[in-house]
Amino acid sequence: MTSTVTRHGPEVQQPESGPEPAGEPRGGRSGFAWLVRLPSAAVRGLRRSAATTPGRLTLISAGLALLALLVGTVAGAELGERKATIDGLVDHREPLTAAAQEVYRSLSDADATAAGTLLNADSEGIALRDRYDLDVARAGAALAKAASASAGNPAAVAQVDVLSRQLPVYTGLVETARTNSRQGNPVGAAYLAEASQLMRSEILPAAKNLYEIEVERLADEQDDAASVPWLTGLLALALLAALIVTQVHLKRRTNRVFNVGLVVATVAVGLAVLWSAVAVTIQSVLVSSGQSSGSEQTDVMVRARIAALQARADETLTLLARGNGTAYEEEYQASIQRLSGGNGQGGFLGEARDGTEGLSAADHVDAAIRSAGAWREVHGQVRNLDNGGRYEDAVELAIQTEGDEGATAAFTRLDGDLARGIADSRQLFLDDTTNGSRVLTLLSPGFAVLSLVAMLGSILGIRERLREYR
Amino acid sequence: MKRWTWLAGALVATLVAGCGSAGTPVDPAPVGSVQRPMPGGTDVSGKIEQGGSDAPNCNPQQSLRPDDSMPPGSTMDNIKKRGYLIAGVDQATNLWGFRNPHTGELEGFDIDVVKEIAHDIFGSYDPNTIRFKAINSSERETVLASGDVDVVVRTYSVTCERLQKVAFSSVYFEAAQRVLVTEKSGIENIAQLGGKKVCAAGSSTSVNRLAEAKPKPEPVVTNNWTDCLVLLQQGQVAGVSTDDTILAGMTEEDPATRVVGPQLSEELYGVGVPKGNEDMVRFVNATLEDFRKNMWRDRFRHWGLQRVLGDLTPPQPQYR
Repeated sequence: MTSTVTRHGPEVQQPESGPEPAGEPRGGRSGFAWLVRLPSAAVRGLRRSAATTPGRLTLISAGLALLALLVGTVAGAELGERKATIDGLVDHREPLTAAAQEVYRSLSDADATAAGTLLNADSEGIALRDRYDLDVARAGAALAKAASASAGNPAAVAQVDVLSRQLPVYTGLVETARTNSRQGNPVGAAYLAEASQLMRSEILPAAKNLYEIEVERLADEQDDAASVPWLTGLLALALLAALIVTQVHLKRRTNRVFNVGLVVATVAVGLAVLWSAVAVTIQSVLVSSGQSSGSEQTDVMVRARIAALQARADETLTLLARGNGTAYEEEYQASIQRLSGGNGQGGFLGEARDGTEGLSAADHVDAAIRSAGAWREVHGQVRNLDNGGRYEDAVELAIQTEGDEGATAAFTRLDGDLARGIADSRQLFLDDTTNGSRVLTLLSPGFAVLSLVAMLGSILGIRERLREYR
Repeated sequence: MKRWTWLAGALVATLVAGCGSAGTPVDPAPVGSVQRPMPGGTDVSGKIEQGGSDAPNCNPQQSLRPDDSMPPGSTMDNIKKRGYLIAGVDQATNLWGFRNPHTGELEGFDIDVVKEIAHDIFGSYDPNTIRFKAINSSERETVLASGDVDVVVRTYSVTCERLQKVAFSSVYFEAAQRVLVTEKSGIENIAQLGGKKVCAAGSSTSVNRLAEAKPKPEPVVTNNWTDCLVLLQQGQVAGVSTDDTILAGMTEEDPATRVVGPQLSEELYGVGVPKGNEDMVRFVNATLEDFRKNMWRDRFRHWGLQRVLGDLTPPQPQYR
């Protein structure tokens, strides 16, 4: 048995080296000429082999084995890469999106907080100052993380460049503002307004772009991970079809219904196709669910949170702005419109409520909608006080950190609700995507083994028939 | 032997090729120039919107005769019934109308004038009888026309053009446009600023005069006067040109600056009142009579204005 395999072995790998015209030298001195003639010689050899039944069977056996080998290799590569993509989502892509989000969020918060530190110099000012320092530190750390991943993406590099260059300038201006205020110079407020202008006109747009680039990259890779592995599927089906056709052909020629090797091969391929179809479907569903219920909801809530932060910055700057506070108030209204729409039920919060319906984040979104409503009410009171000339009372209501009535309390609740909603959505993404990856863990090696079985089955099965011609 | 020579030659050629220059080292993060930030709304185009100067000639000093009575139904009576006076003021101009960064309270010479008016309407001074509304230079006429405020006390120069839209009290301060530069610059007058960047706030009388100066400086227009000080401190303008009263406040904040040059114009500060409220103009004039006589010198010294302006005396009111 073994000897038979060895005898036919070279013929399987190199069908062209089979029967060749006598006197034609193989290799030898004119090796190059032989190489040039190789293709035509091979075609001739194949045609001659196909003319006889044993030759044809040998060819079929070789073809099936090659196809099985190809299916195994392609599937191993395609499914392995797919798993790597999914693991990359969890290990790199999503954390980087979170880093970009942290840059955007902490910078927005710094902008909102810096104004407050100038509005009151007391103990509350110290608390706000701590918060500002934390924001700047977080933004710097997250920026370094985002920068390390931006290489190779020119659009992201450009945004990181702007952020790295302007953030020190911004903090310098804020310190100048603080020093002037400490010395009793009203020009401090002008420096703070300049810092805020820099933040809004250059830094925050860059942070926003960076975040959007990362969100897009995440979504692209999620789409990749949830796509249909066409090549593997088509090749596996082709192999299956070839095996069936071969068996039908053999049955007609030899009147034997079953060929054990080919049946084993067919079952193996069928099993591989079925397994991968089920596994890939489950995995795609999980990754898609991680996208639609996880990362996409995270994105909506992140946008809501940033709109809220910008509105908060506008609220405090309206009070700090020297006379021309109306522009900030208009921006506040625009930010609030983005946050929760005209009626307090729409905007990003409305979108998040629709998107998280039935999910664990839904409670947090509902709480956020209530907090946003409360904040709008307090803001209206703040504006009435300020417009009525009661500036000190307005500042008190907007900035005070004690008690539950102030704008600070309402805003802090809203921010906390959204932060918890974001944490829940990220968890959902992580769970679904990791489970999706687990489904694929055994598929790639399993597919390879089944392809090997199919390959051996077809070789051995046809060799069985060939023996009958001896 | 020949073969060895050939091999050695090839080896040397390879080494020499490896020693040649491989171009210049790469700058991993090239940064050309750095644009310093500017206060929001800064206009460096050098264009100035000049208000039509087709106002008829007038004597801006002349106001209505004082009258401190408050008959029922008068503007003052309505303010008293409302419980508070609404005053349009500045909250960013040092010494005139600014928020004390330590206390958050509004202070300044103009604020003192508002407090006196409130004092006379309500009989005694109580902080609750005043509602301050912080406004821009450009908003002064609009808030008076809309009736959002009862008075505007905000380094407000009386001009014939403005008299078309609003009513003014008698003059309570005589200022003059001059130039603020850094001490080290050595600049002594506006002529030396020709072709250089000079800052002024929009919708002010100063910005128009800047356009008329010869040789012409390059005007940079901001929203607020404090923004001009920021630009001067950041080295983005060579000077600031406006009333010496405002410049005095800036030198207080930055001892490295000086007010220099001759007086370019005379600026007469009056209290702005909605056009038509003649009773209010007369009432404010009565308050100012008293203010000039009894408080003016004290407040002048309190704000340290003599350090830049020298010893001034209250202006003489003119009535028609």
